[in-house]
Amino acid sequence: MRVYMEFAVKKFQNRLTYRLEFFMGIINTIITVVVFCSIYKALYAGTDSVDGITFQMVATNFVISLGLSNAFSFDEMFLQNKLHDGNITSELLKPVNFKFRMLWENIGEGVFKIIFYFVPAVVFCSFFMELSAPKDAVSVVLMGMSVILGYFVLWQISFIVQTWCFWLFSVWGIMTIKNVIVNILAGSMIPIWFMPPLLRKVVSYTPFEAIYFTPIRIYLGELTGSEILYSMTIQIFWIMVLYLIGDFFWKKGIRKLVVQGG
Amino acid sequence: MKEMKIVLQSLRMSMLSHLQYRADSIVATLAVFLREATSIIVIYLTLMKFDHINGWNVNEMLFLFSLLFITYSIIVILFADLRDFSRMIREGRFDRLLVRPRGVLCQLIANHSDIIAAIGHGMLGTILFIVSAGRVGVVWNVSTVVYYISTIIRGVLIQGGMFIIFSALSFYFVETNSIRDVFYWNMRKFAGYPISIYNKLIQGIMIYVVPFAFVNYFPAQYLLRKADMAQYPAIYMYIPPVVGIVVYVIAYVFWRVSIRFYKSTGN
Repeated sequence: MRVYMEFAVKKFQNRLTYRLEFFMGIINTIITVVVFCSIYKALYAGTDSVDGITFQMVATNFVISLGLSNAFSFDEMFLQNKLHDGNITSELLKPVNFKFRMLWENIGEGVFKIIFYFVPAVVFCSFFMELSAPKDAVSVVLMGMSVILGYFVLWQISFIVQTWCFWLFSVWGIMTIKNVIVNILAGSMIPIWFMPPLLRKVVSYTPFEAIYFTPIRIYLGELTGSEILYSMTIQIFWIMVLYLIGDFFWKKGIRKLVVQGG
Repeated sequence: MKEMKIVLQSLRMSMLSHLQYRADSIVATLAVFLREATSIIVIYLTLMKFDHINGWNVNEMLFLFSLLFITYSIIVILFADLRDFSRMIREGRFDRLLVRPRGVLCQLIANHSDIIAAIGHGMLGTILFIVSAGRVGVVWNVSTVVYYISTIIRGVLIQGGMFIIFSALSFYFVETNSIRDVFYWNMRKFAGYPISIYNKLIQGIMIYVVPFAFVNYFPAQYLLRKADMAQYPAIYMYIPPVVGIVVYVIAYVFWRVSIRFYKSTGN
């Protein structure tokens, strides 16, 4: 565990050296939030609430989901690049689990972006927009836990697609298509409340709802007591299912690699 | 005339070089197409729920977006080298152009083309145009068609001019990508939607600093005449052609002045 933590810390320090990127990362997040909040301000056109959802709730939804989706982005071509330049063989010889090393490096980067992109952007937005206050202190803590679970769901989905580089010449195209699906269905660009009923039903059976929407609902107090427990169980369920799928592809891929290497 | 021939020849070569890797190109093109379609899918789903945004219905929104995609697809055919100019400077490839007996800018235009992006954006823009053109209440006669074509041309001139200005900045600073990211890519995120939904500061930037408003919003207003045009001077619907030429000329002059400050990174 300590070794893997070290990977996260290294990555974190690594990011610290690029000063200009702080600024760019924050601007990027703020601009996307402003675009979507302006759209919804026009859509609401002065009405207090649509289907019981107030504008504040929508704005809060965008700040959290767009902010997190910017913070949680990482180099999804990592495995493919390691494979193409042949470094994967020496990586596999090292006495660390390569998959966990990838995960922890990405976590280090995620924590960096949460602190330096997400938090400043949220603070900035809260000056200029009316955001919903959390229901209580407990829901903030629970939301934090749910955000971490959401991150693992997102990471596992990405990892599954990354492992396809063992079979495909380039995963860039399929990765881009995956991101289109995640961006739309996870509700970072259209709040899940406002999706057409049929689509919303479909999404509730997919892992996408477990990424940003569960933490947001906990924060807003839309879920209470046992409902929180239930949705976090769903999150854990998806993490396990996706883990098994990812592990299946990873093991198969590695075996294929060994065969190729002779 | 000779310049024109060089541009056309470059265009042919970059097309041919892309056709070499057919299967990979097709997947990548599809991916670009879908990536850019994300915002369209989102606005479509959103307007299923809300009907209109500041008076713009879904077809009018698609029409507004189509201008952005169609112009960009032409930009990446002509100006792809200027888009990625700072890399060219860093790798010292720019010096090569200086010793050749033709204008530098003329050699840069269409030197390399991003065909994948061009087809991805172009296809999307064309589809959006075909879907929306008949449903937005525009009577397509000679004058509207001419206006539409000139809209595309000026959209290319405005954005091409911006790329030239950002490229010329590379003669002063080593790292210009972030300036361009803020002023081009981030501002472009605002451009798909009617600018009247934003606050005054953003509107001002979109009209006077990074004139995306003249690429799609004001031309679309000329054809569609939506109510939210009332808050801007009506003349803005008629001057876009001038804006296109002005931006391009400013960019060209800035480029000519700046190039004297060029110091090679190579040795």
